[in-house]
Amino acid sequence: MESNARVGVFICKCGDKIEPFIDLNLLQDKLLKDQNINYCEIMPYSCLKPGIENIYSKVINQKLNRVIIAGCESRLMLKKLEKELEPLDLKKGQIDIVNIRGHVASVSDISSAMKADKSAKLIKASAAEMVSLAPTIQSLARIEGPVMILGSGFASYTAAHELINNGFDCLLPSEIIESDFIINNLHLKYPGEYVYYDKLKLIRKELSTSKHVSAIPPGELIRLSGVTGDYKLTFSENDSGKEKSYKAGAIIACIDSDLKATDAEFWYDGQKVICQTEIEEIIQNKGIQEGKVVFWVNDYEAGYPEFSNLSSKSAWSMAKHIRELHNRVEVIILYNEQMQIPLSAEERSIGRKLGILWLPYDKEVRPSIQEGYITVCNIKDHVEYDISWDYMVLSPERKLYGNTLKTAQILGLVHKDGHFLAGRHVRVRPEMVGREEMYLAGSGKYPCNLNDALAQGYKAGKKTSEMLQKSKACELYLPRIVCAVDPQKCVGCGMCQELCDCGGIGAIEGTGGGLPRIVDPMICTGGGTCAASCPYHALILQNNTTDQREARIAALSRELSGSEVIGIACAWGGLPAADNAGAKGLKYDPRLHILGVPCVGQLDPCIFARAFLEGAPGLILIGCNPDECHHSYGIDHAGSRVTIIKKLLTMCGFDRRRIALAHADLNKPEEFIRTIESFTKTIEALGPIERNSINISKLESIYGLVKDNTRIRHLLCANLRRPWEHSYKGEPRHALEYDRDFSDALTEELLNTRVLRLLRLYNRPTMLQELSSNLMVDKKKVGERIWDMVNEGRVQYTHKDSEPMFIAHA
Amino acid sequence: MIKFKINDKEVQARSGWTVLETARQYGIEIPTLCFHESVASSGACRLCMVELREENWSKLVASCIYPVSEGINVYTETERVQNVRRWIFEMLLSECPSSKEVKEMAKKYGVFKTRFPVQNPNESCMLCGLCTRVCEEVVGLSAIATLDRGVHKKVGAPFLRPTEVCVACGCCVTICPTNAMRSRIDSVRSNTKMQLAKAA
Repeated sequence: MESNARVGVFICKCGDKIEPFIDLNLLQDKLLKDQNINYCEIMPYSCLKPGIENIYSKVINQKLNRVIIAGCESRLMLKKLEKELEPLDLKKGQIDIVNIRGHVASVSDISSAMKADKSAKLIKASAAEMVSLAPTIQSLARIEGPVMILGSGFASYTAAHELINNGFDCLLPSEIIESDFIINNLHLKYPGEYVYYDKLKLIRKELSTSKHVSAIPPGELIRLSGVTGDYKLTFSENDSGKEKSYKAGAIIACIDSDLKATDAEFWYDGQKVICQTEIEEIIQNKGIQEGKVVFWVNDYEAGYPEFSNLSSKSAWSMAKHIRELHNRVEVIILYNEQMQIPLSAEERSIGRKLGILWLPYDKEVRPSIQEGYITVCNIKDHVEYDISWDYMVLSPERKLYGNTLKTAQILGLVHKDGHFLAGRHVRVRPEMVGREEMYLAGSGKYPCNLNDALAQGYKAGKKTSEMLQKSKACELYLPRIVCAVDPQKCVGCGMCQELCDCGGIGAIEGTGGGLPRIVDPMICTGGGTCAASCPYHALILQNNTTDQREARIAALSRELSGSEVIGIACAWGGLPAADNAGAKGLKYDPRLHILGVPCVGQLDPCIFARAFLEGAPGLILIGCNPDECHHSYGIDHAGSRVTIIKKLLTMCGFDRRRIALAHADLNKPEEFIRTIESFTKTIEALGPIERNSINISKLESIYGLVKDNTRIRHLLCANLRRPWEHSYKGEPRHALEYDRDFSDALTEELLNTRVLRLLRLYNRPTMLQELSSNLMVDKKKVGERIWDMVNEGRVQYTHKDSEPMFIAHA
Repeated sequence: MIKFKINDKEVQARSGWTVLETARQYGIEIPTLCFHESVASSGACRLCMVELREENWSKLVASCIYPVSEGINVYTETERVQNVRRWIFEMLLSECPSSKEVKEMAKKYGVFKTRFPVQNPNESCMLCGLCTRVCEEVVGLSAIATLDRGVHKKVGAPFLRPTEVCVACGCCVTICPTNAMRSRIDSVRSNTKMQLAKAA
């Protein structure tokens, strides 16, 4: 706990929105009695200029370093206050807004004194959290050194061009810059993009003569380590097979998807029935002087209707090229009637002048190819007609495989079979992340035309340059709420790395197993499910730690009376739903006390256990809908953590309904209200947990177990799954079987914890009979556990009158 | 300190404050719709009009963007101000006739119906731009903007299609004074996971 924290609370009257509903003077009295709060003031509008100027001067006069504003929605107001109070060195986490307007004042009809009471509980909880906050220093991100452009995609040219124009060094694969070979094979990746050959060649020339560009000899990427600003990439060289490493400050991945000819399903033979990439080779090599070329845009039939636009655009571009060179060649483009022709009015008119025929066919009848003819069904009269051809051109199949895929996987880009390298799932405010997970450009990301790929390359180059420029000017700061590893505690189990979906966790380089992990603070999105699952508490979410959350929930739980409950609401689902319910003046059960968190997935299960230990009768977690978690799988992981508490509650004889996980949509405040009404009803029926010594000892054991028992924490962590995963590699277990084993382990460890707790309390040799009667557990069961612990060395024993006596190991 | 008068009451302000901020500091209420503390004022709805008097001359200004100056005489509820607000409410009732909030505020000024033509009786958006401002200034994105011009102006994502730029934080829904964003957000936010599944 930080002793020098000085907390100031500013209560906002908010015109006619708060003052008439809450007895603010009573609230102020209550708050001033709290030991954590040093200063408290009521003001008309804390968020307008006069109010902010007042807070500013009070922070200086009263030497405050924590500010709590009791007002409205922190989602809307926090940013303004953080910005206005920035000169006072109040960093993120040192300012908090408690929404007494939307969570207390407007949502129920209880008396203004009771509302003051409820507000005081929420504000005191916030103050408790603030006091336990140990703010980190604001550190600069240093990103220097060259930018590595990997993957040999065509976007490399624009990305590198943009970087050298901004005066930054880059490392490029030698095949990209040393000859025009790659450019001459442009059609293999992007058929029909004639206009770009010259432009790309010009850029290549410029790159090859630039002093900012260095070439990497041809090789294959085999390893990547380090964090943003300090990467180490190891290649195995093609010629010698030797390993060579390069340092880079940033990486841009330019990856193009591969185009493959469709198989025999579409009568492909490689001679006359060919793929778009092959017709372009024919046009370039010997040209087509006469005959009839039929392009069949067969993407619908091949099962990729989403790419039909791309295929038809390149077909059109090639058709145009053929007609411009030789007007004796006849060109027809056949397309499924469901497709829209992706041409502008101008292009259509050019097409008409050149006599390129677009011919739709009936979607119900699949065209068939014979020697020299293709049979298609006319959409107007439903008659099948034969169209003759000399060259039959099919759409390519777009895929990622081979070396390109391997490189992408080493770079940590998400790829599942048959998918492209689409982005990750995290959807948060831009200020919460240091940079994009990976600057990625090209059709490997998602099939696109060359224009888009080059634009993506340009954008990646521009963003990287901006980042480097900011770093150079010492203006690039690391985000405040990101994970950090304590290397002293980390055993290198790698659980966090498996769970992390930001791709921000890696291992420190070295040989041997058990390497400590390291977090890339520029990539970490602060989701924190990794931190919540670390069996050793080695990973913490800076400025938003488990200790802080525990302090807050403990402070609130201590104050709760009767069947008042806590609702932990996630910032993307539950909290906006609650805010919206408040802002729209909807009413709900006043017994619900809402605490906002960035994601319910970042809550360590010991926080839940602490709430019950401190006297909360019920706890509900209100997160996003499962498919809409903004931190990938936070809500799924929270589910597993709730389950362990449910299991433990049941094992200890409490009702498992005291903790619940719910889902809310920000736009459905009415449904949010139904959720909490049903939960408060459940808890009302159950009543509070009786605070007798046996119950408290049980709750203490639950808390100790989930907080400190590494075996259970390991098992829980291994149980956290992503929704699509049925099992982890190497352990194809039946989920229910795993769960049974998990429950057995829990029963064992729970009893262990209870026995140990009692032994430590007695701190004297104790007989089995006494332990068993005190715990109210069968003597045989206690005996089993205690002898196990004797074997493990956690308990020592002596004899008295030939009866064993046990004592906890120091 | 700058000294001036609101409704003949002596008030003090610092430079940089607006008339509205000073009035609220002294507990004088001025109705607003397009004003929200979290974003910069834009003076779009004109509901916060106040009268500035000097001897036998006076003018109307939007208090949310009018900076204070020494010796001005501000009146917040004169006949002229109320008349202007009634006109604004009539116009708002034609713009967003289905908004409960606007109707209730209009009632207080004795405005129950509008003489202007109603384009769309189900419209509740008054195009105050709070949603677009909060998206840009608070969230740090520009997922939504006003599209088209004049009578065709509306709020939405580009091409009125769900956009990946939107992180679905719901700030626009919370800030919307007329509850119009509630029906619109589903045409703005996109479900990334759903999109990924579609792309597969």
